Amino acid sequence: MFACIYIPDFPVAAIIRVEPLLRDRAVAVLDGKPPQVRVAALNNKARLLGMNIGMTKIQAAIFAIPQHEGDTSATAKSDRKKKSPPIELDSQRIKAQSKPAAAILRQRSTAQEESSHAALLDVVHAFTPRVEDTHPDRLLLDLDGLERLYGPPSAIARELASRVSTLGLDANIGVAANSDAAMHAACGFGGVTVIPAGEEARRLGVLPINVLLDSFEITGSNSSENSTAAREREKLSEQMFDTLERWGVRDFRTLALLPEHALAARLGEAGAHLQRLARGATMRTLALCEPSVRFEEAMDLESPVETLEPLSFLLNRTLDQLCTRLEARALAVQELTLRLQLEPRVGDEQAITLEELAGASHTALLPSSGPSGTITTEAQRSQRNFLKDTPCSKPARSELEGCLHGKSFSFEYSNGNLYARTLRLPVAMRDSNVFLKLLQLDLSAHPPGAPVCKLWITAEPAIPRSAQRGLFLPVTPEAEKLEITLARITGVVGERRAGIAKLLDTHRPAAFRMERFVSQTESQTTEASPTLSGWATEAPIALRIFRPARQVRVQVSEGRPCNLVPPARNGERDALRGKILWSAGPWRSSGDWWAQQSSAQHSTEDAQVWDREEWDIALASGKNVDVVLYRIYRDIATGDWFADASYD
Amino acid sequence: MPLSTSSLRARIESSLGQHLSSTLFLREKAAPLTVSTGVAKLDALTGGLPRGALSEITGPVSSGRTGVMLAALAGATRREEACALVDASDSFDPASASAAGVDLDRLLWLRCSDNNSSSPRRSSRRSSLGRLEQVLKVTDLLLQGGGFGMVVLDLGDIPPESARRVPLTSWFRFRRAVEPTATVLLVLEQEPCAKTCASLVVRLQRIAMCASNAALLLQETEIHGWKVLSHAEPAIPSANEISHAALLQGMQLHAEVLRSWTQRKPVHSVGANFELRAAW
Repeated sequence: MFACIYIPDFPVAAIIRVEPLLRDRAVAVLDGKPPQVRVAALNNKARLLGMNIGMTKIQAAIFAIPQHEGDTSATAKSDRKKKSPPIELDSQRIKAQSKPAAAILRQRSTAQEESSHAALLDVVHAFTPRVEDTHPDRLLLDLDGLERLYGPPSAIARELASRVSTLGLDANIGVAANSDAAMHAACGFGGVTVIPAGEEARRLGVLPINVLLDSFEITGSNSSENSTAAREREKLSEQMFDTLERWGVRDFRTLALLPEHALAARLGEAGAHLQRLARGATMRTLALCEPSVRFEEAMDLESPVETLEPLSFLLNRTLDQLCTRLEARALAVQELTLRLQLEPRVGDEQAITLEELAGASHTALLPSSGPSGTITTEAQRSQRNFLKDTPCSKPARSELEGCLHGKSFSFEYSNGNLYARTLRLPVAMRDSNVFLKLLQLDLSAHPPGAPVCKLWITAEPAIPRSAQRGLFLPVTPEAEKLEITLARITGVVGERRAGIAKLLDTHRPAAFRMERFVSQTESQTTEASPTLSGWATEAPIALRIFRPARQVRVQVSEGRPCNLVPPARNGERDALRGKILWSAGPWRSSGDWWAQQSSAQHSTEDAQVWDREEWDIALASGKNVDVVLYRIYRDIATGDWFADASYD
Repeated sequence: MPLSTSSLRARIESSLGQHLSSTLFLREKAAPLTVSTGVAKLDALTGGLPRGALSEITGPVSSGRTGVMLAALAGATRREEACALVDASDSFDPASASAAGVDLDRLLWLRCSDNNSSSPRRSSRRSSLGRLEQVLKVTDLLLQGGGFGMVVLDLGDIPPESARRVPLTSWFRFRRAVEPTATVLLVLEQEPCAKTCASLVVRLQRIAMCASNAALLLQETEIHGWKVLSHAEPAIPSANEISHAALLQGMQLHAEVLRSWTQRKPVHSVGANFELRAAW
């Protein structure tokens, strides 16, 4: 058995999927370049209003006027009457005004249609790998072997319809013994239609002949066919339709009853094939398609979004759709990229290019070609405050280092009004609420700086975590919660100030690198430090580092420090003054002098020249003559003294 | 014949006791689970750090608070628990911690500081937050997020007069947040400030310091009331490491329990002495 999933009025369905509030409204989709903008698709409610495919934008705009506006603006109506065909438009306007709700006009969005089609494929691939991607609005499935999992064909069809409805799409499902009959059933009948084997001709007989010609046009073409051949096929289909119309053949049954040889003699092989299709007697092999590994959802915005709150609603909806797709394929997300197309603004030429930022970084994720936004925005709109920030300011070097060292977020800018943020997750997740919260926190910390016209969210799929937790496992934070907590904390303490410290392989004092904290539940247990042996009975001496080191003035007697006085300009450091009771040292250390020439190009974690003479001192200071142990050092290059740390 | 109060209560308890246990029976608070501080003598003194409670380790600078903290963290990471350190003054030394046995991969280090300049866009806002405010916010987030075996608030370099300004409600909130969890909330400070919210308060004091290799001291002596020990200069390790900290070993500390979960108000002060060892 074969099944066909058909989405009626697919361009409209793709828009309603993104904007579910339009489900109860009359929606018409416009396509084409001005001045040839016409209605390309509409739903049943729009048809009831009197709208038709092929209407010009001006004609369609009449139906988009709310009733109260239509009553009040008499002058505007007379102007429109002049521009439109007078008789037809007048009747259409009257019809529109008699209806309570006006039609909604939307520009056709190729990106949204592609997303919807990809989502449909994901759901279908969850059923069976034997899927033919026949057309954006219809898919064919081979149901052989699925009875054991889902039951009889009717149950499979209902399950399919249910799964497709979770995507926000209303589908017609046709099930029949051959693929073409299933497609005709799906295109011709609403809801779920199951045609038992042998009854194809009887059940399909009532369908109008244009259903047959549509499917003939679609199934006959293939992807390698060029546009000329497609036009030829379309022309042939129109000719056949005219011929059959003249013969009085208006449904499948009439065509099926025509004499086969006579039909072939008049219409050729195509005519004979049409008749076999009408009888439901064809059999062909499905051209199977591979499941996609790219998960992207896009959303065109009618008007630019200026603040984070409405943008969050859109992100929530898009993330929900993305997670539904991933769930259908039993996948999770390892990396999430949000791209925002911003409204053009003055001074974009000063924006930092991707190459400038990324340099040798491997994190460049933007496509080589910019996005093809189709929405028309008001050009040169006055600048608006978008979260009081600017996207063109050069980011801090530390942020760039964070990007290079695998931070949770990285940033990419482009001078093509494209703003991108990448969210890298330590473990694979599929919780849209977590993604939304992380993106919200990130966008509030790094606002785009201009109104958003279009957004894309791309997910890098990964195998979901499979962890068997035990009752007696050590306490570890939940990965999803931990990510949100870390993002919130980063918002409080700043970038690169929350994570784990990785010691660097150097003798330079206090040399470490901040890295991302990852819950160690699933990872390998790290080996115990060798210093742990026999270490349970005594507490270690620890250093408390002063960051940055505090400059002090040291009085030296016989080559040893004997008194500590703070610099005159730094009088508030009362603790760091007093008599040095004893001192131990000096210990000289130096390093990275060989990298002196190139140190300017390195980050703070890389080579830095040091040459110093360290002392441990016991300082008697304070009102109560407390004795505190400090580590001080003298910078050999400058001769300045610094207090580096205290022993505790 | 009227029933006596005790017999009436016994009858009610026998019939409804299972359903109304919370109202009829006085629930005895179970002793909390404890974890080791990493120092045997301190464990013997305090019974360990209680889980689901707030513990304070207080003492002046150079009194060994950080060493005890690192010992506790080392123990927690050795148990493969995730730990967090809220560092109010950005003074944590990863090298010391690693040498003390802390698994740095399991320690989330949160560096609070009021001179944060990593993001110039928001520096003005952050500078107004102040360290303590950051510490409280971050701790709140950590405890609400949950899942950490030990959360340490290092207020060791915060002056006592500033630490006392932390409202008592914050400490109550922290205590309430950790109560139903297995988290050990450990606070390092110069003077106790969590008051009744703390289940365990230990004050550390250095009673003798080591002056090994000190040129001025030739024998055991006393300076400003402190006993100063002079040791012979130890052998320099063969490894090419900065080894002078090893000379400090032998510092003697005195720990005193001011408040304990075993005794709500231990009026009699109990204490124990132990030594610090250099880990380098």
